[in-house]
Order: sequence, then C-alpha cells, then structure tokens
Amino acid sequence: MTYDDYLAGEPVIVTAALTGGVHGKEANPNLPETPEEIGRAAAAAEAAGASVVHLHARRPNGERSFSTERFQAVTDAVREQADDVIVQHSTGGTGAPDDVRHQPLRTDPPPEMASLDMGPLNRYEHLTSENTRALVDSLLAEMHDRGIKPELEVFNDGHLNEVRGLLERADLADPAYATLIFGGGTLTPPRPGNLLNAVRNLPDGAAFNTLGFGRHQLPFATLGVLLGGHVRVGLEDNVYRDRGELAESNAQLVERVATVAETLGRPVASPAEAREILGL
Amino acid sequence: MTCPLLEYRDGDDDHSFDVARAYCTAVDAFVQPMRADVCNDRYDLHHADDCEFYRAHADDRTASANADDDASDANDDASDADDTGADA
Repeated sequence: MTYDDYLAGEPVIVTAALTGGVHGKEANPNLPETPEEIGRAAAAAEAAGASVVHLHARRPNGERSFSTERFQAVTDAVREQADDVIVQHSTGGTGAPDDVRHQPLRTDPPPEMASLDMGPLNRYEHLTSENTRALVDSLLAEMHDRGIKPELEVFNDGHLNEVRGLLERADLADPAYATLIFGGGTLTPPRPGNLLNAVRNLPDGAAFNTLGFGRHQLPFATLGVLLGGHVRVGLEDNVYRDRGELAESNAQLVERVATVAETLGRPVASPAEAREILGL
Repeated sequence: MTCPLLEYRDGDDDHSFDVARAYCTAVDAFVQPMRADVCNDRYDLHHADDCEFYRAHADDRTASANADDDASDANDDASDADDTGADA
C-alpha cells in the first residue's frame, strides 16, 4: 500500500475499537461495556462508516474478561444489532496467561478476524505483556484452524521483524494485514516520520492499518489515509473528541475520520468491500 | 492476596455506576479495569510488584514509620537528658 493507493482513491477500511479493556466508564461514561451497549455501539459505528469492529469483553463491573462465554455474549449482541460488520476479537491481554488468551477465538461462530500481538511490550510502570513467539504461533495456529484472519498488531519497529519472521515460518492468506500502533511505553513514538518508516519496512504486499493512541488518533488516521492505509479509531484508544472534551460515542469518532477520508478523496469501505480487500 | 487499598464503590462525587467498581484508596480514584486485575492479583499480576501506586504508598508508609521512629528516639533522648539533668 502506498501513496499511489491514496491517489487512486482506494476505499479506506475503518475499524472501530469500541470498548477495549484498559479503561472504562470511569474515563468516559459513554464508553460501552455491557454486551447490549457494545452491540448498539457496533450498529451505530457501522452506520457511521466502520466496516470492522474490534471487540473486548468485560465483567459486569467493567473489568476485563477473556472468557469465551463473555465474548460470545458480546459477539451475539453485535451480530443481532449491526448489519454486516466484520467482527474482530482481541486476543491481547497484559499479564494474562497464555491459555486464557485463546478463549476469545472459541465463540460460535468464530470471529472473522482476531488481533495477534507481534511481541513484547510494556505498559505503565511495571506491566509487561510478553507475547512470546510460542504464544504467537499457538494463537495463529488456532486462528488458522478456525478460519480467522489475524490482524498483526505492530507496537514497535522490532515487531516488523517479527512480522517478517512470521511470514517466513507460517502460511498466512494474502494480504498480510498489520496494524501500526503509536503511543507511549515501548510503543513506537507517535511522530509522522515513524509512520513513514514503518510503512517503508512492511513486507511486500502487506496492507496496513494505522492506530495512534489518545490525541494522536486523528492525525495518525489522517496520515494513514494519505499513505494508502486503513484506519482504526474508537473509545478503546481515545476517549476524547477534542482537548478536554470527551467523545460522545464511538460513532462520533468514526464519522469524523470518515469525513476526513472522503474529504481527501478516499471513500470508506463497506463491509463487503472490506472483506474483498482483506481476503476474508 | 487482594490489595488492602482496594475497595468496591458504586460512585463518588464525579461518578455513579450501576455495579460497584474498583476504587483505589491510595489515590482516591476509580481504578482502570485493567488495573483492577493488578489490585486483585489476577492472572500473573501482583499489586506489590506491578502497581506503582501501591509501591509509592508503601514507600510513604515506610518513610512515615521511620519518621515516627525518629521522633520516638528524640523523645527517648529528651527523657535521657532530663534524667541526666535530674542527676546533676
């Protein structure tokens, strides 16, 4: 994917990361946590232009849950309330043991996509998510068995080496789809030059998605649009609409980035178009 | 072991929740959901190792206890001085 894809006006896949598991309603009361709320948010995000929804599951008190049962409730609610949106489950989980990281893959039906963290990362002062190669390979194997396309989460440039290694040792359907992530801790610092560098270092033929945390969400999504990539927005990654102003909804953030993409000459992809682009 | 600084509350001056949520009494704020796994020592997370707020609180308590010890020593010294003065 290149600037030529921008010039050609190729459709942009907008992923809405609706809920996450790091922060919750204590950060923004508009953030959906229950299956019912997430289902409604998915439908609204789809109507605003999202073709993929990235999902986490929670306990009733908002805390993280990795259980298949909880993910089933969330994905059922999304499928009931949204029209045709692509369901993507998270397999991320700082501090969570390897066995529970597989559970989000085991819903019926399985998600069409699931995230796959490409290596270690640090969050906060003391929290490390190891994401060993053994875990990456075992998650990928189960995704392969269940017909789930991996979304390769690249938290720093070293993870680009891991993507190349993965492509050498595993059989991934084309195109490889990598989300380039920018933020604090051991993530790549959110500077435009670093996005350019990451795009240059993607394997040939790979498609990319762009994710900037917090106030970097909109500028990095805009850069992603200009560089021929796709974009991820949503309350999981950013709870604000503007400095000091909480976002009203996931749909509000989706609508804003869809307007940016269309203003720049790239239409947002429908779920059907996204499936074609991603080879689902 | 659950963090001794953790409570579950259904609201404060700025929030109101249907289900009680994790609240950190060290920083007087509701806990982010991922951090609640640290507070509850879930998975491979442990509040004494992984929570900077607990560690800072523990450091403060240690410093406070040391200060109390120093104050106690000072009182002891004063007492000794009084005794010495009495002896004179």
